[in-house]
Amino acid sequence: MNAFFQLIARHRVLASTLFLAIFPFIMPYEALAINILIFGLFAMGFNLLFGYMGLLSFGHAAFLGIGSYFTGIAIVHYGVPWAAAILIGIVGAAIGGLIMGFLAIRTRGIYFSMVTLALGQIVYYGFYKAESLTGGENGLRGVRVDTFNILGIPVDFLNPLVKYYIILFFVVIAIWLISRILNSPLGAVMEAIRENEKRAAACGFDVAKTKLLVFVLSAAICGLAGSLRALHLSIVPIDSLHYLQSGQAVMMSILGGMGTFFGPFIGAAVMLYLEDVVTTFTKHWMAVVGLVFMFFVLFFPKGIWGTILSKLHIQQDSK
Amino acid sequence: MNSSTTPILEARNVSKSFGKFKALQNVSTRFMPGTLTAIIGPNGAGKSTFFNVLSGAFPPSSGEILFNGKDITGMQQHEFARIGISKSFQITNVFKQLSVHENVRVAAQMETARYNFLRNAQSYPEPIELADQLLRRVNLEHLRNKKTGDLAHGQQRALEIAMALACNPSLLLLDEPTAGMSPEETLVMMDLIRTLANERTVILVEHKMKLIMGLCKRIIVLHHGEFLAEGTPEEIQNNAEVRRVYLGQG
Amino acid sequence: MTGLTFELLCMQLLTGIALGSIYALLALGLCLIFGMLNVVNFAHGAFFMVGAFLGVYFLGITGNFWFSLVLTPVLTGCLGLITERFLVRPLYGRGLDYPLLLTFGLSYVLIEVMRVTFGIEGLPSVTPEGLGGTMNVGIGYFPKYRLFLIAATALIIFGVWFFIQKTRYGLIIKAGAADQEIVKVLGIDIAKVWLLVFGLGCAIAGLSGILAAPTRSVNPEMGIPILAESFVVTVVGGMGSPVGAVIAGLLVGVVYSMTSLFFPELAELSIFVLMAVVLLIRPQGLFGKAGAMG
Repeated sequence: MNAFFQLIARHRVLASTLFLAIFPFIMPYEALAINILIFGLFAMGFNLLFGYMGLLSFGHAAFLGIGSYFTGIAIVHYGVPWAAAILIGIVGAAIGGLIMGFLAIRTRGIYFSMVTLALGQIVYYGFYKAESLTGGENGLRGVRVDTFNILGIPVDFLNPLVKYYIILFFVVIAIWLISRILNSPLGAVMEAIRENEKRAAACGFDVAKTKLLVFVLSAAICGLAGSLRALHLSIVPIDSLHYLQSGQAVMMSILGGMGTFFGPFIGAAVMLYLEDVVTTFTKHWMAVVGLVFMFFVLFFPKGIWGTILSKLHIQQDSK
Repeated sequence: MNSSTTPILEARNVSKSFGKFKALQNVSTRFMPGTLTAIIGPNGAGKSTFFNVLSGAFPPSSGEILFNGKDITGMQQHEFARIGISKSFQITNVFKQLSVHENVRVAAQMETARYNFLRNAQSYPEPIELADQLLRRVNLEHLRNKKTGDLAHGQQRALEIAMALACNPSLLLLDEPTAGMSPEETLVMMDLIRTLANERTVILVEHKMKLIMGLCKRIIVLHHGEFLAEGTPEEIQNNAEVRRVYLGQG
Repeated sequence: MTGLTFELLCMQLLTGIALGSIYALLALGLCLIFGMLNVVNFAHGAFFMVGAFLGVYFLGITGNFWFSLVLTPVLTGCLGLITERFLVRPLYGRGLDYPLLLTFGLSYVLIEVMRVTFGIEGLPSVTPEGLGGTMNVGIGYFPKYRLFLIAATALIIFGVWFFIQKTRYGLIIKAGAADQEIVKVLGIDIAKVWLLVFGLGCAIAGLSGILAAPTRSVNPEMGIPILAESFVVTVVGGMGSPVGAVIAGLLVGVVYSMTSLFFPELAELSIFVLMAVVLLIRPQGLFGKAGAMG
């Protein structure tokens, strides 16, 4: 048993890729699988800042939203090809991360959550009001990508399975990038800062700069998730930017296991699958989410994956 | 600059206030390279505050700090480490979730790997070797894979010293290094400090008088945030003011 | 600008102060909980919403506003006591984020409970008898209820100030916020103090809710933007500063109100921009201590 966990920990990118490759076949329908892919990535990007650096941001929906809207606006209003539009979404989110991070990191500890929530709302109201570009309350419509060519081969994006694998391609790249970051010297500094900021600074690490760097990387990844979401839904709902959407990333990370590699994805999968099932029985999904979340915060703070790992006495990450 | 006459660290008219409370008032003193100095004083003397100002935790409200003649007043904590001033804290500050070796390795990567985020940390041999060396030095090599949270108190303090040494500091500041240690652990720490003092400048804040008398050649006494006296252990023991402050007040 | 007169500006200012009074009260409650327990109550907006619902409900069945005004904060306060005792207390010592996260989850549950109890449309808001209509304030006619609001919140804030500064129990709270060890040494059960302060903070949130109810639509989602706005006030005023909370609350209300007059589209955005500016120039807030900077 132990050997199995060691193996997937050492080859986590490969393990994730293989599992996600067969994922759509174990889900009831492809759209759910795609959703889990996208929000899994969102949660992973968020977890970089929260689980590994210890910074609880309640404003990350801003980056999901910027990614979605920038990509959508590029396609709808400026006719930009989809690949370039994704890039625009990522860059936009990274810049947003730079600005928000710069302002938020100036505050201490617990205020950070408050400040990021409020800063995220600036982005929300900003996009809400810019109706001509964003569609305001109704969201942005018409982000249509039907068929395109990859190296001369025609690809039908409207086919759900094809759509899943195209999106998976980007998600795998992002997962690979996250894994590299965590294994790098920066990853070690991140965890050091999370464990003991004073000691990290006394060792010579510029804590503020590191926080900002990770904030931007985290924002860029969430921006990619947003870009992919826009392409998937063909619309961008305004609520993508609201702090309740940020809250969802927080919940997924805690549910799955913050500070673990597979945790956020597992959290996203469990949460979205549960939502899919529960909403067929009741419309009081919000209460269910709240109760489940409170339950985990009180009794299983390590999350599903984190608890499994600690029960098997395994270190939470391969070093 | 002539290194034998320039003080490695100098405090000039250093004052520090927290709101209305004056923790330090006009303290001036110099530390020469290669020396081992202790800062002592009764409770509330301002030792911790002075230590924090000297080690870069926060800047003084007024006055200057000079390192090898250069003004470093107001520099940030991480900059202190980069110019060669390292410290250990009164309450042990280590990375609890990381292993002993990882703790020192992270401290060691300041020199080479820093913030690189694309290469694998394991591919940098220097921090790993340096960490091995430092752990041997403080006799923690056999515990390298243990989580620091599981170490004994004295071992955690030794670990912190290893981390403080990782950036190869020319000046080492230790805040009550033997606090909470058993007599055996204290002796080991004292030996370590002695050997460290042979290689670099060391400044200690300490409570245990017997320790200091046997260890240091120079002692600075603070009282009510002000500079009271300085000298060799004999001079301090015979100083009437010091005796009054420590003994006269019971 | 046609129609822009001195009188109009003054009226708008007064409206801003009325709005700001609610913000001030809310932020004060948040500040008490934070100052004492180091917990950011992410359910603060939800308690506000519950207060609004309970207030309108009791007003509806008893016809007595004053009775509802007293009963509502007692009920939300008790809800706060239960929350602290059973949900938040187990999390102390686990790290600063956990109580915050728990209250966030709680807000979801409270919103849904109100939806089930009162319906997703909410309740029609009612202005209490005797406080309806307008009154001549010299420069024009101003809604009586809003004048009442300003006066009532001023009185409540004074009451809280008096309680903290001048009573024995308030002294314990102040001391405990400054140094928990001292309080324990004096033989006082710090857990009881935490319990009561959390309850007090939630009571204040509920009171803000019932006071605000006649001025806005009462629905289960009304607390959601309120939470964000409370945070804006707290950041502008300075974390942990009750004086900052009150003054920033009034300031934010006035900024919102004046912006509505000149640039109505940007009203909501304006207060968040104010916060961003404060963060840029003075991260610790107007009345915060310098040590609050990263």
